[in-house]
Amino acid sequence: MITVSVASGKGGAGKTSIAAALAATLGAGCLFADCDVDAANGAIALGARINIREPYFAGPGYQIEPSACTGCGRCHAACRFGAIEPVAGSRAFRIIQELCERCGACVDQCPTKAITTFEKQAGELFVSTGRTGTKLIHAELEPGEDTSGKLVALVRKRAAALALPEATIVVDAPPGIGCPVIASVTGCDLVLVVVEASASGIRDAGRLVELILSMKRQSVAIINKTGLNASMDEHARRMLAEAGIPLAGEIPFDPALRSAEESNRTWASVACGSSDAVKAALVNVMGVITTLKEKS
Amino acid sequence: MTVLAVASGKGGTGKTTVAAHLASASARTRSTILVDLDVEAPDATGYFPAAHATGDTEAVSVLVPEVVESLCTGCGLCARACRFGAILVIGGVVTIDQKVCKGCGRCVAVCPAKALKEVKMNVGETTRRSADSLDLLEGRMAVGDIRSTVVIEAAKRRAALAGASLQIRDCPPGVSCPATHAIEGADYLILIAEPTEFSIHDLGAAVKLGRERGIPTGVVINKDGFGTADVAGFCASEGVPVIGRIAFLRERAASGATATLWLQDPLIMDEMDRILSRALAGARTRSVS
Repeated sequence: MITVSVASGKGGAGKTSIAAALAATLGAGCLFADCDVDAANGAIALGARINIREPYFAGPGYQIEPSACTGCGRCHAACRFGAIEPVAGSRAFRIIQELCERCGACVDQCPTKAITTFEKQAGELFVSTGRTGTKLIHAELEPGEDTSGKLVALVRKRAAALALPEATIVVDAPPGIGCPVIASVTGCDLVLVVVEASASGIRDAGRLVELILSMKRQSVAIINKTGLNASMDEHARRMLAEAGIPLAGEIPFDPALRSAEESNRTWASVACGSSDAVKAALVNVMGVITTLKEKS
Repeated sequence: MTVLAVASGKGGTGKTTVAAHLASASARTRSTILVDLDVEAPDATGYFPAAHATGDTEAVSVLVPEVVESLCTGCGLCARACRFGAILVIGGVVTIDQKVCKGCGRCVAVCPAKALKEVKMNVGETTRRSADSLDLLEGRMAVGDIRSTVVIEAAKRRAALAGASLQIRDCPPGVSCPATHAIEGADYLILIAEPTEFSIHDLGAAVKLGRERGIPTGVVINKDGFGTADVAGFCASEGVPVIGRIAFLRERAASGATATLWLQDPLIMDEMDRILSRALAGARTRSVS
């Protein structure tokens, strides 16, 4: 089993479209794990039909029982996240859920045991089948929930459990370089870095590359949206060369690629000016995956 | 002070581009600060190459525990108290993963032997800059760290001290904790969408987040004409107003690639003024305490 994580640093660089095209190219031996759990579009890209859905619980949150609270304020003093405030017109305190990190430091300090736990569904996990038969594991985090890294780990665990030994798992990572990205890249065999050929795209991909190198992951890159500015294209190539990341291909900016999404196809099967470049890049990525499989 | 948060759900719809233009338009008539809260991928400053630092770069840190071996009895209460899996006790030996620690201090408080002392750990930084009449404040998380919300809160605190009459926040993508922290305290939420199914799907989650947080919300349709997905129809069904539109043009995509502002383009700047006036008219009024 080989795991390929598709990441970019910047949002909107083309991660999901490229990941879906790679999955379509891999065919039946591919499992797609959409780890962008708070903006999950893999199911749209692959035309997924949901087969199984299960609730996701993030672990207990805390609340203060107003009738049991004496207003001593020890919880307020213990909280380092500013998540406990006095209730206006009352002696009691309350927990601001949006700021609460669920560490439980307040619980230990309460002399009247007024702080209790509650469980709330924080999202849903799905096992689906794409329109061409690709198996998908994806999830939707409830807006405002704070455990995206944990849900990413769950999506990956479920994907690994369902994958056959010869399968390739394509992980669609979220943007950024934080907790859910680290969870999406940890332990993968290959990172496919999607660099948007723009000042912001190169800067953000550079931070991602720094992270990947520190995690000692093998990587390969695709530069997307080339041809808008030649010096940006060159800048992107140079950044990758300096980091020692091989370039699998470049995809020229082409609004016609949008028609893939609108005609229920992936970039791998749409016909437009950038089709050949997409196919060439995917062939090179497939070559790297094949070599990895031979080694394992 | 009024706070406008620019967010989107989906990444790459044009949050930073729109935020930089709104801030530039606003700075012509009022004191304005643009706050980059996309601390994992901060790009707003890139739109202002002539910006110069106007204050120190301030380190953002958390207090993380360290074991004082001579005092530790290996009882394991600290590991049991930690909700983040940052402490491991094997055979009476305590190992702390400071990178995973959120700095809540719970372990320190429960240790009966007082064997944990706290040290400062750097998680990122904030930098204050100025570009002509516009103030800029950037939050930047250190590569390899996971504590983006700590950096976001530090940047929010520093931005509030700047005393600008309008604060425009460039928020991270998604709808999980970084986005929640970034929009918290905003008076109006400007969501940037593009006419694609991906964008509409993620916009739905962002609209829901704004509604749950009680923040009045409007949508700007960026790259209008780029795809055929009906953002306006979606907004109508959600009861959220469309407060601006920016047409898709290849030249704009090209100047976006170099993070170049269209300050001389009256079509863009007039639209920015309209978006600002609609957002300010819709913003919730702060109770003066």
